[in-house]
Amino acid sequence: MSALEARIDELLAIPPYALSPQDRELAFLALLKDELEYACSRNAGYRNYVRHWPVEPRAAPKVADLPYLPVSLLKADPPFALVEPHEIKKTLTSSFTTGQTPSRIALDSPTARRMSKAVAAIVQDFLGAQRRPYLVVDVPGSVAQGPEMGARGAAIRGLMPFATEVTYCLRPDSTGDLVLERDKLLGFAKTHRDSAVLVYGFTYILWQYLVRPLLAESVSLEMPNVHILHSGGWKRLQDEAVDKKSFNHGLAQVFGCSADRVIDFYGMVENVGVIYPDCAEGNKHVPVFGEVIVRDPLTLEPVGEGEQGMVQVCSVLPTSFPGHLLLTEDVAEIVCRDGCRCGRRGIGFRFVGRVPKSELRGCGNIRRTREPAQ
Amino acid sequence: MNDLIRNIDSPEEVSTAAAELRQVVDASKITPNACLEVLEAWGNALGGPETAAIPGIAFLRLWLRRNTLEPIITRELGQGALYGKWMEDSGRSHLKAYPVGIVGHWPAGNIEIQPILSMTCGLLGGNACLVRVPRGLRDQTYQLIGKLIESDSDGLLTTRIRLLVFDHERLDLHRAMARSVDGAMIWGGEEAVSEIRSLPFAHWARMAVFGPRISVAAMDAASWCNLSAREALCRRIARDVWQFDQQACSSPQVLFLEREKGHSADDFVQALRAAFEAENRIHPRQTMDAALTTAICQARASWLLEDVANSALFPAGPDWTILLGQGSDIPPPTQGKTLTVLEVSDLQEPLAKLDGNVQTLGLAIADPEREETLASMAASRGVDRIVQLGRMHVFGPPWDGIDLIRSMVRMVRHVRSLD
Repeated sequence: MSALEARIDELLAIPPYALSPQDRELAFLALLKDELEYACSRNAGYRNYVRHWPVEPRAAPKVADLPYLPVSLLKADPPFALVEPHEIKKTLTSSFTTGQTPSRIALDSPTARRMSKAVAAIVQDFLGAQRRPYLVVDVPGSVAQGPEMGARGAAIRGLMPFATEVTYCLRPDSTGDLVLERDKLLGFAKTHRDSAVLVYGFTYILWQYLVRPLLAESVSLEMPNVHILHSGGWKRLQDEAVDKKSFNHGLAQVFGCSADRVIDFYGMVENVGVIYPDCAEGNKHVPVFGEVIVRDPLTLEPVGEGEQGMVQVCSVLPTSFPGHLLLTEDVAEIVCRDGCRCGRRGIGFRFVGRVPKSELRGCGNIRRTREPAQ
Repeated sequence: MNDLIRNIDSPEEVSTAAAELRQVVDASKITPNACLEVLEAWGNALGGPETAAIPGIAFLRLWLRRNTLEPIITRELGQGALYGKWMEDSGRSHLKAYPVGIVGHWPAGNIEIQPILSMTCGLLGGNACLVRVPRGLRDQTYQLIGKLIESDSDGLLTTRIRLLVFDHERLDLHRAMARSVDGAMIWGGEEAVSEIRSLPFAHWARMAVFGPRISVAAMDAASWCNLSAREALCRRIARDVWQFDQQACSSPQVLFLEREKGHSADDFVQALRAAFEAENRIHPRQTMDAALTTAICQARASWLLEDVANSALFPAGPDWTILLGQGSDIPPPTQGKTLTVLEVSDLQEPLAKLDGNVQTLGLAIADPEREETLASMAASRGVDRIVQLGRMHVFGPPWDGIDLIRSMVRMVRHVRSLD
């Protein structure tokens, strides 16, 4: 293990939300600078980018001054990697719709190991270390073995360390659509009615294939000790006019638990190993091995409390791809710099939505070259 | 909101506005000269603090002057047109411009003064004007029209205009407008222009389409290597990049520099950087869409990642960006004050690749004969305006190769019947 990797592991060993913002910056900044230097040594294009950054990274007084990459730069195939192709053990792909290009994230063994460790540390902080039956509201194929894995698979797999057993309650039908395996689900609920249980599903999948049909039939699974984690976009639910409150209440009704047992977490494959669950106050927090900066689109300067802007995620976890400092296409609001009532240190933020699709506007909007006349 | 600018929610409201205009245009005529008198007064009224912050206001005031418009009318419509007279042609024939009737205007959403510029072109041809105002331009247009109302106490022009505010998505309202007009002046991006062109216009309706286009700048070695002229030239380039946040069809997206032994383009872009910084101090952005910020960050990163020989200059914020490299292909435009500077061995290389998408070529060429050659080459490759650097946005006909007033008049020929 290299000295750099050892230092990342040291940071991973600290309880994820224990450090004050000042102590976090101290621990984080020096390590990130070394990681940037390492990344530059591995990729000439990245080195060229960092070399042209307006602030010399070594002299940067704070994390916000370091060179960040727009997340769309990771939509490369083959993936934008800092390791040799033979060192890539798995490629994570972001969710995408037809016509879109997914991000491709190259994971080597050390990065994958840190990713698992990091997710486990975060989830443990929210749910405790106890292993429990794990109900996955998805199909088993989502975590199929192979060189590539999608965002859903990565999220499902990230929670496996907390499982004593895993049950998938959806299956694909002949058209490829998902179908609820009702008997399997009811059997699981009956067996584990009084146990602590972990449930995970993508937000819209949970709603569309489990909550909505069971709500319509007034079915309650009567699992009061369940914790339901979900992630993924809200767009499809917003299209159906389902807000967070009615989503949580719907889930609580179906599982027969209180609504505070439903935990939404924000995450993206490009920011592997870092997930941002909602705390009891409804805020998202950043573990010690990561940072979130919210930038004003007018100046790209970090915004203050109560202000919204573009989300930049930072992480010391990856060494196989340049995912240390990524400007995302998401918008968030900073709720507090520190001192959330939940007790977690560091900033608290709330996800607001996506940056509207980037497009050229007005009379200078040329999207294609002209075809010569035949 | 005054009655000239209306929030529209139904096709009937569009038809009502058009019917009001039809009555006026059928019942009264207006000469370009009478029109100019009101426009001049309007331009003077726009000098106050209420409209000072509207982007392009200085240019609009200049445009509305008699000294600007009179030569345009004479050139496009002929001698005597100013006073509505017939112009002798040859032998027994003479010519005179007549309005087409009601002209519909679909301005682009990114140029604050464009609804007004387009409308004046229709009015100078003696037409009545139905102007669709994009919602984002409503407040500025309202302020500008308020000053017209003050300047036109007899209602010479105000009776001939109706401005309709509605969302781009309201196809029913676009359709109603298209059915009501005898001519259309359409400005904007590819999607908007294509959609508007496909509206149900009458078969007789004239159509003048402006955009979508992009523009480029080019300098020969003698120009950019001339140290005594460098600062002034860079200032001109910065001015062209800054206006309309580089989103106009006349905004330069790329600057081609002809390579010269012993001279470094790096030095030139440092001077350009100073000019950009200075321009940014004078005209900083007030707001910015996150989507444009994202696009600028992406352009910077992808430029530097894709070729280690590429370089770039940019501040920490998204204020401006200079991307420096080699090559004769026009890269995809980013806009938002992102100028790509490309070194070429001969300016003919990029000009030979133009495909008709380029509207304006801003030039700094030391040798007039060479400039003639390059201008002819660019023109034959689809460029419609070839101008000096620093004047790429100076609005004047022909624009996109089209006369602005003549496109919305009927030139009537009368051949006298007597031998």
